[in-house]
Amino acid sequence: MLNKITGHEVDRRLLLKGAAAGGLGIAGATMLAGCSSDSGPVSFGVRTVDESPVKQAQAIVDAYTAKTGIEVTPNFTESNAFQNNLSQYLQGTPDDAFQWMAGYRMQFFADQGLLEDVSSVWDEIGDQFSDSYKIASTGSDGKQYFLPQSWYPWGLHFRKSMMAEVGMSPDDIYNWDDFMAALKELKAQGLVPLAAADKGGWEAMGTFDILNARINGYNFHVDLLAGREKWTDDKVKEVFRHWEMLLPYQNTNVLDLEWDGAMQLLLQKQAGFFMNGSWFGGNFLEQSQEDYDDLWIVPFPEINPDNGRDTIDAPLDGIAVAKNGGNPGGGKDFVQFAASIEGVEAQLATGIPLTSANNLQDTSAYDPFQKQQQAVMAEAKYITQFLDRDTRPDFAGPVVGPAFQSWFKDPSSTDSILESLQSQWDALAPL
Amino acid sequence: MSSTTAVEKPQAKAKKANRRRTFSKRDRFTLGVFIGVPTFLHVALVWFPAVATIYLSFTYWTGIHIGDIQWAGLANYENIFFNTPIFWDALRVNVIWLVWFGAIATPLGILLAYQIDREIRGSKFYQAAYYLPVVLSLAVIGIIWNFLLRPDGFVNGLLGLEISEAVSFFGDDRYNIWVILTMASWRHIGYIMLLYLAGLKAVDATLREAASIDGATEWQTFRKVVFPAMAPVNIIVIVITIIESLRAFDMIYIIYGSSGGLPILGVLVFQNIAGEGASMKGAAYAVILFLLSIVPIITYLRQQFKEDMK
Repeated sequence: MLNKITGHEVDRRLLLKGAAAGGLGIAGATMLAGCSSDSGPVSFGVRTVDESPVKQAQAIVDAYTAKTGIEVTPNFTESNAFQNNLSQYLQGTPDDAFQWMAGYRMQFFADQGLLEDVSSVWDEIGDQFSDSYKIASTGSDGKQYFLPQSWYPWGLHFRKSMMAEVGMSPDDIYNWDDFMAALKELKAQGLVPLAAADKGGWEAMGTFDILNARINGYNFHVDLLAGREKWTDDKVKEVFRHWEMLLPYQNTNVLDLEWDGAMQLLLQKQAGFFMNGSWFGGNFLEQSQEDYDDLWIVPFPEINPDNGRDTIDAPLDGIAVAKNGGNPGGGKDFVQFAASIEGVEAQLATGIPLTSANNLQDTSAYDPFQKQQQAVMAEAKYITQFLDRDTRPDFAGPVVGPAFQSWFKDPSSTDSILESLQSQWDALAPL
Repeated sequence: MSSTTAVEKPQAKAKKANRRRTFSKRDRFTLGVFIGVPTFLHVALVWFPAVATIYLSFTYWTGIHIGDIQWAGLANYENIFFNTPIFWDALRVNVIWLVWFGAIATPLGILLAYQIDREIRGSKFYQAAYYLPVVLSLAVIGIIWNFLLRPDGFVNGLLGLEISEAVSFFGDDRYNIWVILTMASWRHIGYIMLLYLAGLKAVDATLREAASIDGATEWQTFRKVVFPAMAPVNIIVIVITIIESLRAFDMIYIIYGSSGGLPILGVLVFQNIAGEGASMKGAAYAVILFLLSIVPIITYLRQQFKEDMK
């Protein structure tokens, strides 16, 4: 009938043969493309849409493509959305390589069989990292599932110019009494002595972590987060007693600001100190070179002389390979490049400051702020990853986050909040 | 003439009956596809997940491997009712939301509809102005108001307040729930107004004329004549009010993320299901939310239809 319409006399059998050959050809080409998985295109999930980290990720991608000729497709997702959807993402069609965090947060997914074993990559470039990073990248079965890329310490940040104006020298602040005196002085000057935020539910965990580690020591902190110690212990009440002393020196709208809002307080010279992770240095640099040069960090003061300043939260960010990705072999090759010194150098070429986890990075090229971050890290004997990476995710997010927020609303309710935290820990589903 | 129609009618009826009883094969196939495919999709995408959620609320599961599902009985529910103080906070907020919508937002929408229906001056303008927020999704409304009311936002800037001294619209428990309710009402009023307006247009004008001839005041006319005549629309409006207030999620999520700044049941479901720490506590929250919505609606509908049958 078609022949009659078009007026051509096409042999039906020829048409069918041609279609079959064409279809087979296309199918064959796709299959062959699938076969050569190791040199096929690689997709890379990037856990941010902020300007500086995006540039760094793009730099790694460009450098890798330049070196190997393999096409890499970066997929940029806002970090909260990425974190919330990770479980579904890894089970569905994940990117081959993706940015993630070390600690229990990584081990959990490795235990579920969603991450590709990258021990072979560690065999090749493991000497570029320190032992503690290898431990943080290891799953509960002894194999590695993660490659560290960068770290940053949590500490007291401030602007050198403001401190000079007030006539204070924060490097001299060593213990809690010094710190309280400094906060009083800053308040008298009309500034917000300590900028704080907790709208996202996680920001205040940094303050809790450091207070707990300073007052009760590293071992108690780790045991508490693992459930071996009780939240209702008097030691934890002591932490909240100290925290309550800080409240009059914080901005009153803690629950209305996320970390970038509190950072604005420091950027706009309204606040004296900002207890946070040093990643926001990039944001200061985006503002201006002068702002970045003005930024400085010191460790949180000692509270209990038994513990000194021996612990620090220094979360490790890095890259992992998804088991269900289309090209795990290519993914492994890519993460090896990204975490190695070649990837680090590609990122450094963007001019954005980077404290990489790689030993081979030439730290003499660090700017003063980075060198100071290193000094703060070096002073600590023990490194923790941060509360929401060191404990069960179904406890950190849904339970501890809102508990801290309700504490800010009513600081006198410490006892009932701690009791509720303990009973919610006890009621968690068995793993 | 009447005799011929009397004869024609039974014949026509018989023909109709015949037609109804014998469908050609093609008709049956078409019907099958047109009814079958949507039914299948509905069962697969709505009923099956709903039943699965109810089942899963009685288990322990991280949502990753089906083999890991463990029976938990009522453990999730016990956890929620006895061990989770934020659940009671969220319930309180949802109930306040329901009461606000039921007592303030919906009546305002009805009042607006009634006034606009009377074709007061500028009614076309009011109609468009009040309906505009409905056109925006709740997420967009959340973004707009977030921009206005943040510590570094427009309103605090107008008030001349620095970030550190800004009014804490979203963080302070004294203000936040009323701010959120106002934002939600902004949209809800327009929505109810439009539903009611459509219903009012269908009310027979003679009813109202008769009432005014009998000397009824506006309020009496509304209460005794128009309102009862709008019974089907009333059902819809009430059901929508209940559902919208219990189902609220988009705006809160845009402003607060999944943290507990202003807890509501919808966010609690999300917090416990999505994210890395998934647990079937979220399924239990979903079942509780479902029961909270469906029980009043079914009770109300049963009562209405019983009256109708009388």
